[in-house]
Amino acid sequence: MTLQGWEAVFFWIFSIAAIFAGLLTVMARNAVHSALFLISSLLSVAALFILLGAEFIAGVQILVYVGGVMVLFLFVIMLVNVGAEEQGLSEIINKPRQVVASLVFCLLLVVGLLFAINTGYQGLQKRDETMLDGATEQRRAQHQKLAAGATGTSRITGDTQQVGNSLYRFASLPFEIASVLLLVAIIGSVMLARTLKQEAAVDDVDPEVLSAKVTQDAAQEKDRPETLRDLT
Amino acid sequence: MLTLFTPIFAFLLQQVDSGRFGVMWQSARSPDLSKFLVIGALLFIIGVAGVLTRRNIIVIFMSIELILNAANLNFIAFSRYLQDTGNMNAIAGQVFAVFVIVVAAAEAAIGLGIVIALYRNKETIWVDEIDLLKW
Repeated sequence: MTLQGWEAVFFWIFSIAAIFAGLLTVMARNAVHSALFLISSLLSVAALFILLGAEFIAGVQILVYVGGVMVLFLFVIMLVNVGAEEQGLSEIINKPRQVVASLVFCLLLVVGLLFAINTGYQGLQKRDETMLDGATEQRRAQHQKLAAGATGTSRITGDTQQVGNSLYRFASLPFEIASVLLLVAIIGSVMLARTLKQEAAVDDVDPEVLSAKVTQDAAQEKDRPETLRDLT
Repeated sequence: MLTLFTPIFAFLLQQVDSGRFGVMWQSARSPDLSKFLVIGALLFIIGVAGVLTRRNIIVIFMSIELILNAANLNFIAFSRYLQDTGNMNAIAGQVFAVFVIVVAAAEAAIGLGIVIALYRNKETIWVDEIDLLKW
């Protein structure tokens, strides 16, 4: 499996973009900047998926991650107060000793992973030597046989069809379990994000806890910043 | 003008194609499975470094998304590799990637719900100040 010509050029562009955007996600001071860099990293990885011939996953990645999850992240960043971080008033990373220990660990992980990939890939190539002969040309020939798209610049591949086939034929039970998982996640996040007032409205709070909390809140309300009051 | 420079380019390319640098150039011109695995490993390491070093709990969640995305890249790369070697079950890698995306979405929804609840009660998003379970 090799990418040739322009595919190789775009591979390098998008992989370098993904890595740099990932680095900036981790290093950015402002959480909103982090989210925007993460979006560009996810888009670059989606482009890599297209280069690998997985158009359906690339589309799902853009719709679900960039369109859904990252918007959720941005909303939560707006809800919590990150003013101190933006103004450079507080540290964005842990204590130096923890950082040094974790970076040493990451370095070891890099060395280990690269070594594993190197040796493992050599073994894999040796095993599949006969099957990989001319695989690229064969794939290109198959690609040429596909029907052309309306603009004539690309071909209509059967990737989405294959994924759907496989998903409903061989993975229908995991598919149903995933739908239950999403339902549980919806209910769980609604339950978690409720305020005490909303919990009292459906009457599943111990009255003593509620009255204690109300008096405590009234005492705290005076010294809370203005922006926080309308949150609860 | 161009004809004047053509032999120079040819000479340079000839020099480039031979030797140790030439081997690297040849492998960079046709990226294969191992390149995708290296990119996935680097994204994974960046995510791990983010989880271990940052104080902001939202950025830690974003780093986890980065880690899951690196895993997805590996799944898709192996799927393509198995397609090219003629494996019948090659598309399973893409099905796995769909499930990884589902789990990531559920995890992000629950995690951000926890962040909101935590912020209401503790008024902090720094992970080192959230030590309720410490004795």
